[in-house]
Amino acid sequence: MTYIRKHLVLLLLSISFQTIQAQTKFTLNGTIKDNQSGESLIGATVKLIGKTPSGASSNAYGFYSLNAEFGDYDLIVSYIGYKTLHQSISMNKDIRLDLALYADNNLEEVVVTSVKKNENVVNAQMGVEKVNVKEISSVPVLFGERDILKTLQLLPGIKSAGEGNSGFYVRGGSTDQNLILLDEAPVYNASHLFGFFSTFNSDAIKDVTVYKGGMPSQYGGRLSSVLDIKMNEGNRKEYTAEGGIGLISSRLKLEGPIVKDKSSFMISARRTYADSFLAFSPDSNLNNNTLYFYDLNAKTNYQLNDKNTLFLSGYFGRDKLALHKAFGFNWGNATATLRWNHLYNNRLFSNTSLIYSNYNYVIESFLESNEFKVNSSIKDANLKQDFQYSAGTHALKFGLNAIHHTISPGKISAGSTSSVNQTTIQNRKGLELAAYISDEWAVNDKLNLIYGVRLNDFSLLGPGEFKTLDIDGNTVSSKNYTSTAIVKSYFIAEPRVSASYQVNVSASIKASYTRNSQNIHLMSNSTSTSPTDLYIMNSNNVKPEIADQLAAGYFRNFNNDTYEFSAEIYYKWMQNQIEYRSGTDLRGNQNVEADLLFGKGRAYGMELFLKKRFGKFNGWVGYTLSKTERKFDALNEGNWFFAKQDRTHDISLVGIYKAGKRWTISSTFVYNTGSAVTFPSGKYQINNQSVFYYGTKNGYRMPTYHRMDLAATLEVKPGKKFQSSWSFSVYNVYNRQNAFSIDFKDDLDDHTKTQIIRTTLFGIIPSITWNFKF
Amino acid sequence: MKPFALIYLFAFSVMMLFASCEKIISLDLKTAEPVVVIEGYVTDQDEVQTVKISKTYSFAEPNKLNGVSGAQVILTNGNTSIPFVETAPGIYQSVLFAGLPGEKYTLEVVFEGKTYTASSAMPQKVPIESLTYKKLSFFGSEKTYPVITYQDPAGTQNQYHYVVTLNNIEIKFNSVEEDRFNDGNKVENIIFYALDDLKSGDQIDIEFQTIDRNVFKYFFALSQINGNGGPPVAPSNPVSNFTNGALGVFSAYSTQKKTFIKQ
Repeated sequence: MTYIRKHLVLLLLSISFQTIQAQTKFTLNGTIKDNQSGESLIGATVKLIGKTPSGASSNAYGFYSLNAEFGDYDLIVSYIGYKTLHQSISMNKDIRLDLALYADNNLEEVVVTSVKKNENVVNAQMGVEKVNVKEISSVPVLFGERDILKTLQLLPGIKSAGEGNSGFYVRGGSTDQNLILLDEAPVYNASHLFGFFSTFNSDAIKDVTVYKGGMPSQYGGRLSSVLDIKMNEGNRKEYTAEGGIGLISSRLKLEGPIVKDKSSFMISARRTYADSFLAFSPDSNLNNNTLYFYDLNAKTNYQLNDKNTLFLSGYFGRDKLALHKAFGFNWGNATATLRWNHLYNNRLFSNTSLIYSNYNYVIESFLESNEFKVNSSIKDANLKQDFQYSAGTHALKFGLNAIHHTISPGKISAGSTSSVNQTTIQNRKGLELAAYISDEWAVNDKLNLIYGVRLNDFSLLGPGEFKTLDIDGNTVSSKNYTSTAIVKSYFIAEPRVSASYQVNVSASIKASYTRNSQNIHLMSNSTSTSPTDLYIMNSNNVKPEIADQLAAGYFRNFNNDTYEFSAEIYYKWMQNQIEYRSGTDLRGNQNVEADLLFGKGRAYGMELFLKKRFGKFNGWVGYTLSKTERKFDALNEGNWFFAKQDRTHDISLVGIYKAGKRWTISSTFVYNTGSAVTFPSGKYQINNQSVFYYGTKNGYRMPTYHRMDLAATLEVKPGKKFQSSWSFSVYNVYNRQNAFSIDFKDDLDDHTKTQIIRTTLFGIIPSITWNFKF
Repeated sequence: MKPFALIYLFAFSVMMLFASCEKIISLDLKTAEPVVVIEGYVTDQDEVQTVKISKTYSFAEPNKLNGVSGAQVILTNGNTSIPFVETAPGIYQSVLFAGLPGEKYTLEVVFEGKTYTASSAMPQKVPIESLTYKKLSFFGSEKTYPVITYQDPAGTQNQYHYVVTLNNIEIKFNSVEEDRFNDGNKVENIIFYALDDLKSGDQIDIEFQTIDRNVFKYFFALSQINGNGGPPVAPSNPVSNFTNGALGVFSAYSTQKKTFIKQ
């Protein structure tokens, strides 16, 4: 079987190469950078106008490559937010040309997009959203903390997992079905403080791209979306510092050259200080507690020569909670990525990445006779080899990926005086192997195609005892495996096809089909996610989750690309979805799989998006109409029921107004149907207290959610070397009492009555942040 | 598991730092077709054993035992069978007898032409060693929690159910515990029901039941929905040990009581 697979990959590679006709063309390639900082620019457009016009955009490392026949050409390089570069060039040989663009400070836009003006219309890629970090700097946020994940939730098709929560649902998927990559390293728990803040400190972030559908073949491993986040590389020309002081946290970023024009570094840190305030409290109940989180992002690069560049980046973040003499709890991610960019020749670009990622949590109890410590972790070692090959109208991407997972569900250690026993839940190891190839083919002026396949092989590895369960969760057989044994393997081929047809200069229609699979699954049966939620892998009983998505869209720009409009519809089928039996206790569970139920899902909807991209006033309106359902034999009498992430209507409005040179005012408004929940449809008594009877699963709705936020940013002295600004924001301006939870309880004062209690988390919350840069 | 419960208490107190308010609201809830509910107990005490049979009713109605009459209730243990007699609507009682630990009891209820059966094996008694209290504070609010100490029997799976009263008022709280993490040890368990500061003369009573696995799972599922000892889970009806779709539980348990009086 492996033999066949190997040959299938080779066959695919060779077919694709043969379709590319070799012509006597010359190649123009190089990198595109910011003139001031030397940061590479992702997605800048390069065009050759002349005998054989051609165009390309710079890749994730700022590298571009295009081909043209012998002759004289005009070279045009553009990137929004930068002055367009015009240059004459003679294509009489292969040329290496590194370009630098100057930032255009006179542009009055606030919202900048990192794509060329009509990229959204021309490109075959659909279901993609890009967020520029500048964009989120002026959007109002909770507690004044800029947050990429929360800003993303303002885009159609991406929904918040809850009030103030950085978790998100994409096109009917759950939070664990999003592949979140930070410099290619998967981040397993992307939130701080139980979801209120994301782990991404926006100071350190350069580029954010989210794919809701039509995922390119180089991404795999999750069902619903890909969130690809790239960190800043660091200024190669001069030293700069940037930071901010807010109500919740302070931030500082330093960057600069190590060797001018060759090497640079960036280091960015953030820490919250709620507990520092607690320390001032005279109340000993308060000042003995610990509650904070911090993030550290660091990156350095070294350009060995014009063919080789090395990058090393890392992230380290942690949350710490502690109650004096009672217990401690901390959790966090650590990731490290080492990359090597290599140019084999004018057309073949290679990137090799070695990635390490670790998420863990530690719980410690210091209570007398209950002392113990719990350690749990998930560790990934990841090797990626990506190639990009450009030849005429074809741009080829292919590569290999191997990820080794080690999951330690829990190790409980305790002293001899403790009533807790030492226990270790067996570690689980798995290996994911993937090979992919895709070709972006400009068939003619009107038709663009991206087609490819990703082949996935997952193996659950020994050692350990592995059970096979029946449909009721009873053990049928159990077998011990050695450390070299493969317990179970799954192979899935994922075809990915996208096409765009350009109706005219400013309009196109697009369609795509994508298959995604997921071999690692988050276990969470609570109504909110928690740092202690476990991941499990495929096994004898758990099969890979599979999603097939069909999407179609209409893309149209108006008024010389000032307005961008898109309408997308999608239908998604999901297999091997996971739910839990009633009364499942996931905490320290030795046999989690016995409590799982498997079923299928479907999600479909329509997303409308209108964005004004330039001018003093800009912003967008997004609307999503959607339905998300699940079907499990053992739940809801086998009938379809609404998934908890189902929200019929979802509206987001974002407006940003640049009022003069110093003030920027912005506002957001969100409105969505309440999520699907199960409320009582009757009651009865057990132990003389009310117990509720539940009918249809998720047959009720939480109250409608809506909220308006405002923000204003004041630049103190624009134009000086030391720049500073004040950001004022108000969350939930009209103090809407949105329901965070609704609980049903007997009235403690009158036992004949049952109460319905609504808990609201955030009313109106003003905040202020001071930011600086020099 | 206690340790996890602690964390969630702490986590929720963190959330409450942000939380602005709780409000009693009204909602228009549906009323499902009434379903039969059976709650039956057999204890190791020499007493009248009771089975309650009722039907579910509308959420809007005042709380009550919506008892049903005319059911036939029989308890069997090996070759012995004991009939239960209706003494009030929905209340069915036996003659005085004590159940025996280690014995398996089967309750059969025939009502409106349907037969519902459930079995439960009465576990051995586990003695309470002491009952006291502990104070813990979570961000400024210090609360008192009852603490019970017992020696868990080694090598067997044990489950416990606490019924706690403060000054003879039952605390509305389904607290169950298992020995998954402390099998065979001397256990000092904090019962996570926050009491206000105890005054001199205040009395805590605890009824300490040893229950079988299915009964534990039933009460655990109930407590999970209320978020006791963990984040609230998406609610569903707890799995009953009765057949034929009846709600409720049948538990054969051994029990004992302990009292603590604050000096």
